[in-house]
Amino acid sequence: MSQQSQEQPQAGVGATLLEKIKSATQFKTGLGLLGIIVVLSLSSEYFLTVTNLFNIVTQTSINALLAFGMTFVILSGGIDLSVGSVMAVASAVTAGLLTSGMNMVIAIIGGLIAGTGLGLFNGLVISRLAMPAFIVTLAMKSIARGLTLIYTDGRPISGFNDAFQFLGGGKVGPIPVPVIILVIVLTICYIVLKKTPFGRYVYAIGGSEEAAELSGIKTKVIKTTVFAISGFMASLSGIVLASRLNSAQPTAGTGYELDAIAAVVLGGTSLTGGRGGITGTLIGALIMGVINNGLNLLNVSSFYQLVAKGTVILLAIYLDRRSKQAA
Amino acid sequence: MSEDLILEMKNITKTFPGVKALDNVNLDLYKGEIHALLGENGAGKSTLMKVLNGIHHQNSGEIYFKGQEVDFAGPREAQEAGLSIIHQELKLLPDLTVAENVFLGREKVNGIFVDFADLKEKTADVLEQLGVDIDPETKVRDLNIGSQQMVEIAKAISQEAEVLVMDEPTSSLTPGEAELLFDLIERLREQQISIIYISHKIEEIFKLCDRVTVLRDGAKVGEVEVANTNRDQLVRMMVGRDITERFPEIENNRSDKILEVKNLSVPGKVKDATFDVYKGEVLGIAGLMGAGRTELAKTIYGAFKPESGEIYYKGEKIEINSPKEAIDLGFYYLSEDRKEEGLVLTESVEHNISLSILDRIKNIGLIDQDREGELARKYIDDLAIKTPDEKREVKSLSGGNQQKVVIAKVLSTEPEVVILDDPTRGIDVGAKREIYNLINDFVEQGVAVILISSELPEVLNLSHRILVMHEHKIAGELDGGQATQEKIMNLATGGSIN
Amino acid sequence: MFKKKSLILSLAFLLVLTLSVNAGAFWIFGDDDGQEKEKLTVGFAVSTQNNPFFVDMKKGAEKRAEEMGVELMVADAQNDAAKQLNSIQDLLVKQIDVLVINPVNGDAIAPAVKSANDQGVPVITVDRSASDGKVVTHIASDNVKGGEMAAEYMAKQLGEEGKVVELAGIPGTSAARDRGEGFNNGIEQYDEISVIARQPAGFDRAKGMTVMENILQAHQEIDAVFAHNDSMALGAVEALKSAGRLDSTLVVGFDAIDDALTAIKDGEMNATIAQQPSLMGEMAIEKAQTIANDKDLKDYYPAKLKLITKDNVQ
Repeated sequence: MSQQSQEQPQAGVGATLLEKIKSATQFKTGLGLLGIIVVLSLSSEYFLTVTNLFNIVTQTSINALLAFGMTFVILSGGIDLSVGSVMAVASAVTAGLLTSGMNMVIAIIGGLIAGTGLGLFNGLVISRLAMPAFIVTLAMKSIARGLTLIYTDGRPISGFNDAFQFLGGGKVGPIPVPVIILVIVLTICYIVLKKTPFGRYVYAIGGSEEAAELSGIKTKVIKTTVFAISGFMASLSGIVLASRLNSAQPTAGTGYELDAIAAVVLGGTSLTGGRGGITGTLIGALIMGVINNGLNLLNVSSFYQLVAKGTVILLAIYLDRRSKQAA
Repeated sequence: MSEDLILEMKNITKTFPGVKALDNVNLDLYKGEIHALLGENGAGKSTLMKVLNGIHHQNSGEIYFKGQEVDFAGPREAQEAGLSIIHQELKLLPDLTVAENVFLGREKVNGIFVDFADLKEKTADVLEQLGVDIDPETKVRDLNIGSQQMVEIAKAISQEAEVLVMDEPTSSLTPGEAELLFDLIERLREQQISIIYISHKIEEIFKLCDRVTVLRDGAKVGEVEVANTNRDQLVRMMVGRDITERFPEIENNRSDKILEVKNLSVPGKVKDATFDVYKGEVLGIAGLMGAGRTELAKTIYGAFKPESGEIYYKGEKIEINSPKEAIDLGFYYLSEDRKEEGLVLTESVEHNISLSILDRIKNIGLIDQDREGELARKYIDDLAIKTPDEKREVKSLSGGNQQKVVIAKVLSTEPEVVILDDPTRGIDVGAKREIYNLINDFVEQGVAVILISSELPEVLNLSHRILVMHEHKIAGELDGGQATQEKIMNLATGGSIN
Repeated sequence: MFKKKSLILSLAFLLVLTLSVNAGAFWIFGDDDGQEKEKLTVGFAVSTQNNPFFVDMKKGAEKRAEEMGVELMVADAQNDAAKQLNSIQDLLVKQIDVLVINPVNGDAIAPAVKSANDQGVPVITVDRSASDGKVVTHIASDNVKGGEMAAEYMAKQLGEEGKVVELAGIPGTSAARDRGEGFNNGIEQYDEISVIARQPAGFDRAKGMTVMENILQAHQEIDAVFAHNDSMALGAVEALKSAGRLDSTLVVGFDAIDDALTAIKDGEMNATIAQQPSLMGEMAIEKAQTIANDKDLKDYYPAKLKLITKDNVQ
């Protein structure tokens, strides 16, 4: 009978209201971002400058790329704790190939293959051996970090050519290259998730894996692919990072998986899968980037910054819960 | 007579934001009476009971219990006053014993220790009073659903309940367990305990109840003595329209053999199944819960891997390794578990309908969303799915309409063999009828229908042939015309047709 | 529902605002007229605040900045090279006059140094140097020398023979490299002393303990431990203590953090090489002022090191 009370009041109102309610989560996260921007603009004279805004997006791009991959995984009902380590592998491999004199394109492809391969391995173990994603990727987090340290002998690999440094540090007109990469990847992710059968399957598996399987979806293939995508995005992120720093750090990306998960969740994607989207994740990542940047500008000690970040995440989840209960 | 009145609900009205869930409803209950509360899903039965035990509070109207006006703050207070509700989903703790469950929270203690001997003795007393043969020291986990329900009832009786509300008590019981429950209800009646009995199953009402109150759309349609009414009248009262026949005549349109299954076995699930399926017929599969009906269906559908056996489809030997392959060949399986396996509840009506055919409506890799929308709207029209529009979350639809969304998904693939696993579970009479009509449509189009159902009348009335399963094996095949409930039950319980 | 939610949302903003007021009140309430723009503004990007060494460095800088009337803004990279690059970008947005960097990693800091160069902000590096970009001056302890001092002390105490363990810092950091180099150069002078185990322990106390525990399992005979910093040395002390082998083992650390000094007083550690992080912080501010005054600087200013034992511990 509780069913009835849900149905009746909205009957006949139709799609417009429904769509509004649906997009409301994202709308509100966006509003939250806007609010934080307003507050920071009022608090620091340096915040609302073109340089600083580009700084923010550039700084956010590393986490956003990771979080985009993570969005696929979380939408399908999984989790990937290995992205921070996988990005280190990819950046180390690319750096290693570059410094050994390899062509830049080959070096980048090498890094992407290494990271995507690890993601693919995650996916195969999770889907074929039916092991929980949490455990498998936790193990991979350790394995990939170890592989990076072995490959680099614990030392950073540094000193790349200008062409490679352009990826993370260059500009096209006034626009930093990582921002351009971010926009391109975002667009592709959006189309894949919203417009292709594959994207629909990812949502369906997150909503109910059994129903998806019985509806003729090759759930194992999709799940494997999703982890491979996450590995690919982590690699891309790692390569951009190496280029930005002009150095591949063996310890790069430590703890980044949690920032990526936080961005996804802040963006309104449900940790249980099936709901959410890539634009929300971008907003989530931007919120985290803006808070970091703003608190830096305001000269707030990094200790407070951690508290602020955690508090914002808690608040966001709480609001998400509230809106779900209200619906 | 009026001093025997134990419960009276007068002019109860309850509104939720934007909806009147109960409109001026009256209900009374005499000592020792079994009073049926009948109505379709969403008619207001559960809301009325929630008002009764204090989960909801009425906007207007009064409740008198044992002559006193009451307004319970919640279920606990209602229980203490002598009014218990046995819910559809049982609320026992599986790892505690029967005795511990019955007296949970009310254990007699010596010092800081629970007096287990006392607990056991008292529980044994209650169980004996109810004529139930259960060892108080068994863990609840080890009992079947029927026995668990009796423990729940024993718990209520031990709290000196005078009024019991039973919400769909037989919905997950086997026929045998249900019989035991009916015996127990009779004994409760003899002990002057009053029962409000909520059920969809009209047969049970005729068997057990004294009076019946029918609700529709939150209002009381009427109250009749069971002795003075008949099934048709009750159905009419429930749905507000005449249903001349409960089951439509399904014409046998049988033509070519489409599917041939030989010696199919899956360890622990299916043993040596052999049968044929023809185009344009309904093949019923009956059997008790756990007999392997669903497993057999899912094996054909590619969800389980057979260990041995052969499947021939349109004369060719095939091997199906996944539901995807089955669908591509022309099969479709509608799951018994609509919410977990039939639908993706987080998605919209439209996305659920198109889920199995996205590959067929894509254009250079992208989903043709115009076509997808058209398709969804077409099925919403064709099947009269009650939803404001196709973008609606499927979760917000009623059970019957959700099931129609699943059927739309089945239809969208244009299947040649459909396996319907308990397609009418938990949906109301009107929606059931519509689903029966759809089965008829399938048959007319020459589709082969395999129908699994827990409700014997359904299998009996809709099938042209019936396979009966017992302990993972096909125990026998009956012709639709000659099958009876008795014959099916015989086979289903391990007996023979003769 | 909607109203309630926007209320909660505004509360979230309020929280951010409160934090800003708390720590950055200057920007909200102070000096709209900018009269203090005359004041020298120094940005200080410190590698981490999870390690007392760098906390001391920051405190030294803060103390000296206050004395000299310098406006100091500190950014903590939490040991993450990428985060350090970001926070330096943020400092540069604030139009600082001089940038002092204590790099997480010498190679990865180069792009940050270059972007400061692009904006014409002079850069001073402290403790770890930058591999590329234009740096006005570098302030650091002579770590190679410190490693040699440790080796010498150890040799003297051991009577020029024994088995020694080396707990190394984060591979790739110049501190780990230089201290290790100095120590091994020093030890090589003595034929009877051998380094039987050399394991990295991340400059971290917990790791120092774990690594030492493992080494103790593998080697029955250990006469001395040299750790690239005190945190690891103290971790090693814990491991030795629980193995009951502390009394027979000489422990030498590096950095002279407070805990280490206490341990030396208590006789748990034998010696440490005192870097003077606080002094480095102070020197950085002084050199920044020198730059602002348009005076010339040398490329490198060594910060003094000191061997601290029970005899001279304070």
